[in-house]
Amino acid sequence: MDIIIVLLSVSGLIFFFATTVGLLRFPDFYSRMHAAGKGDTLSSLIMLMALVLYNFHEFNLASLLVAAKILLIGVFIFMASPTATHAIIDAGYESDIQPWTKEPEEES
Amino acid sequence: MIWQLDLSILSLIVVCAFATIMVKDLLSAAIIFGAYSFLMCLLWTEMGAVDVAFTEASVGAGVSTVLFIAAVHQTTRRVGFRKSGRGLSKAIGLMAALLTGLVLLIAEMDFPDFASPFSPASLHLSPYYITQTLHDTNVPNIVTSVLADYRGFDTMFETAVIFTAGLAVIAILRRYKKDDRCELPAPYIISEGYPDTIIRFVARQLVPFIQLFALYVVAHGHHSPGGGFQGGVIIGASFILLAISYDTKMIIGLMSERSNILLGNIGVLIYAGIGFLCLLLGANFLDYSVLSKILPATDKVMARSHGMLGIEIGVAIAVMAIVISIYINIISCGKYKNEE
Repeated sequence: MDIIIVLLSVSGLIFFFATTVGLLRFPDFYSRMHAAGKGDTLSSLIMLMALVLYNFHEFNLASLLVAAKILLIGVFIFMASPTATHAIIDAGYESDIQPWTKEPEEES
Repeated sequence: MIWQLDLSILSLIVVCAFATIMVKDLLSAAIIFGAYSFLMCLLWTEMGAVDVAFTEASVGAGVSTVLFIAAVHQTTRRVGFRKSGRGLSKAIGLMAALLTGLVLLIAEMDFPDFASPFSPASLHLSPYYITQTLHDTNVPNIVTSVLADYRGFDTMFETAVIFTAGLAVIAILRRYKKDDRCELPAPYIISEGYPDTIIRFVARQLVPFIQLFALYVVAHGHHSPGGGFQGGVIIGASFILLAISYDTKMIIGLMSERSNILLGNIGVLIYAGIGFLCLLLGANFLDYSVLSKILPATDKVMARSHGMLGIEIGVAIAVMAIVISIYINIISCGKYKNEE
């Protein structure tokens, strides 16, 4: 049980770290949002799962209730976070942010 | 209290505070200020003040950021600096800030330690609240009972302050005439809203649950962190979410100006009315225990609990109406209806 909890939270931290690195290192707006949206959602969910399992060290009605609440937060993040990412990227697309390309842009 | 965590959060707060002032782009400043509020919320949670943290998360980090962004959206993103007298006014400001900081630091030396059991606050009043609250009011959450019962008079005027803030926003921003006597920027046309299926669908799915959660926060404030202020702000935020993802007209259709102001009044009136009801029944103002005379099947202790629930509902209604009316007034430049 403890091993699973440690594994989940550590992998959540690794994903968070990857998200941060991606947010800082990626070249343009879209790829940065790609890193932020995906990594953030996944790592939050994994860490919430770890919290749910940690909560079950004492198994009774109260811990079951807390677990249900944490799972509800997970559902909320699962819906809200990708939508927020989509909204931000859409706003960027609407305001004509050019995606990064490998070739240097030609002077016009 | 883990001092490493405290230290890192505090230093991040200081960085955020400086960044909020230094950043030239007002939109970034608003978002950094939201981050500042959220860090304050973390700090309060860490210190054990969960109710305050909840208020900060919903009001400071949530709604006020949205209001700032709406205001930036309607005005300008750039800071305008005055050219003349910058050096002198900056020097005066720096002097004032340093002096205030010094005075505060000197005053801080006389303070008791954090959570010291021998400080005057925890010697006289707090033990009474901690030991007697459950016996007096049957409410496990001491913060709620102190807020709504023992110091109910304070909270009533807090609600009145929020109501006054809403009135002030309406008085300043609301424009009734078509022609303005003073020069104002032309109001940004509220479009029909960018029709994005994904955003609209998710917002539509989430809003009922957000409102249900808000009602839970209001009603469950007796047993867990929460209460009227937080719940009201969350309901208002759900309406603002609809206004952002759909369009503002729909929200004006749902909550017209008349009903908004009426609801704000009703909320404060519920609070004060319960107080006056207690007066009528022959007790002190806001002494809920006397309500057991008119509430069926309650003794004096449960009556205090129910009285608290009543005023929390009043607070929630007032806060919800005021939050929505401030948002609509800012986002529509006080026009309320767009077609004029």
